[in-house]
Amino acid sequence: MSRMELYSPEGLRIDGRRWNELRRFESRINTHPNSCDGSSYVEQGNTKVICMVQGPMEPSSRSQADSAGATIEVNLSVASFSTFERKKRSKSEKRMVEMKATLERTFQQSVMCHLYPRTLISIDIHVLAQDGGLLASMANAVTLALIDAGVAMYDYVSCISVGLHDQTPLLDLNGLEEQDISTLTIGVIGKTEKLALLMLEDKMPLDHLESTLGIAIAATHRIRDLMDDEVRKHGNLRSSKLAKN
Amino acid sequence: MILSPAERAYLYESLVQKPAIRPGARSDHQFRPLEAKTGFLPNSNGSARIRLNDGSECIISVKSKVVVTRGESSLIEVDIDVPGFRDDSNFVSNLKFSLTNLLITKFPVEYLRLTSKYSFKLFIDCIVISHSSYPLSLISLTSYLALKTTRLPLLTSEVNDEEIEEQPTFSDDWDNAKYIHPTFQPPIFITLGVIGENLLFDPSIEEEQVLENGLILSFYKDKVITPIINMNLATNSNNSNFKGLNQKLIIQSINLCNKYCPAIIKALDTLIEQDDENDDTDNHIF
Repeated sequence: MSRMELYSPEGLRIDGRRWNELRRFESRINTHPNSCDGSSYVEQGNTKVICMVQGPMEPSSRSQADSAGATIEVNLSVASFSTFERKKRSKSEKRMVEMKATLERTFQQSVMCHLYPRTLISIDIHVLAQDGGLLASMANAVTLALIDAGVAMYDYVSCISVGLHDQTPLLDLNGLEEQDISTLTIGVIGKTEKLALLMLEDKMPLDHLESTLGIAIAATHRIRDLMDDEVRKHGNLRSSKLAKN
Repeated sequence: MILSPAERAYLYESLVQKPAIRPGARSDHQFRPLEAKTGFLPNSNGSARIRLNDGSECIISVKSKVVVTRGESSLIEVDIDVPGFRDDSNFVSNLKFSLTNLLITKFPVEYLRLTSKYSFKLFIDCIVISHSSYPLSLISLTSYLALKTTRLPLLTSEVNDEEIEEQPTFSDDWDNAKYIHPTFQPPIFITLGVIGENLLFDPSIEEEQVLENGLILSFYKDKVITPIINMNLATNSNNSNFKGLNQKLIIQSINLCNKYCPAIIKALDTLIEQDDENDDTDNHIF
């Protein structure tokens, strides 16, 4: 057990939030208009992620061309300065490989791949700072970048992490909380209750799973709204420029 | 191959004119417009991002660590990450060597000394998010901004700890943190393209394809210093125009840099000042 009190009897967490409160969520789309087809930037608390999408384009090698649908390739790079203690990370680290595979599988299902046969959609993710909820922020950033690239998707994939402290579910964990309690990351398609992504790296008691998932799904709907606001804001900005010309 | 033979010939002909006609209507000594931002990473001592109008972009973070001076071979460590290139590829290791070499030889290490036993060690990490032309000058301009805005915590313990066994202690208040040195100006690299009798500052990727030679000059404290490197800037294709270098042009390039580079440094310094003024309201990277 850690020395820190993660959840006080008064119901406050170390950063002053209640159990069901999200951290500051900020996003931008079309941040790199000249270097890629779609781009986004997501800040979830102190976690900062840049995502860039290239494609759908002709794959460089034949092996990546699938006649039934698009191939999605994710390249993950976590900067060595992203944590408080500087640490050089290799791409072949087990945790990185798993996150990359999880994202590829999630978006292979959520993008309408059958519309883009024999093409490659390449997604580059750069993590500049991490403070918990890494997979969730990355998936949110990928969703926004794919929307910016104009790739057809069934709906938003909005993601959030949730932990279980004793009997209380805690929403959107920060780095300190994530070290000490078991964390579940879920991704939901739009405003439904369909899960596109589910990742649990440790254990969670089954009898509390339902309440934990319930609050997490509600949170993803909120995240979806926040992302939608940003997309619409950007869309209005673009259409106002079109109207002027 | 980026350009067709006809495009190459056309571009070559326009660039050897006196004065050169550059695509983008730049003059010989003009840089591409850039946008920059500093101090957006709260976890780092200094950070900077530069983006050129062709989409090339570089992010640099400077982190510090207190080390025992005697145990370290160098107080500066540079790391460069270019997506799509392996860390041990020629391209990345050349960039890394050039930058490390320049900083280690020219960085005034006495600014990093804390006490007689301890020093700060700086870790300079670069991510080249995307690049089209040879990125060394982009990286070095970004490192200039990052190092200029690096703030190190204020030492509160004794400076002379020769006799006492004491580890350095620092002020808790970040507002007391100090810049590396008020007059400190990090060295930078400037890329020049050689074509005919012309010297072109900051060649773009299309220009690089037809250049007869490339020069990389280093600039520190208002004058050009060594190393001066000559290389083929078109690293991704074989450049059929590539030729030997006329000695006179080296002298000429040094004179040109001495004339125009102070303006670049001044522009970067102005940028930092403006960023400082907006700092309280806006800490966002974009």
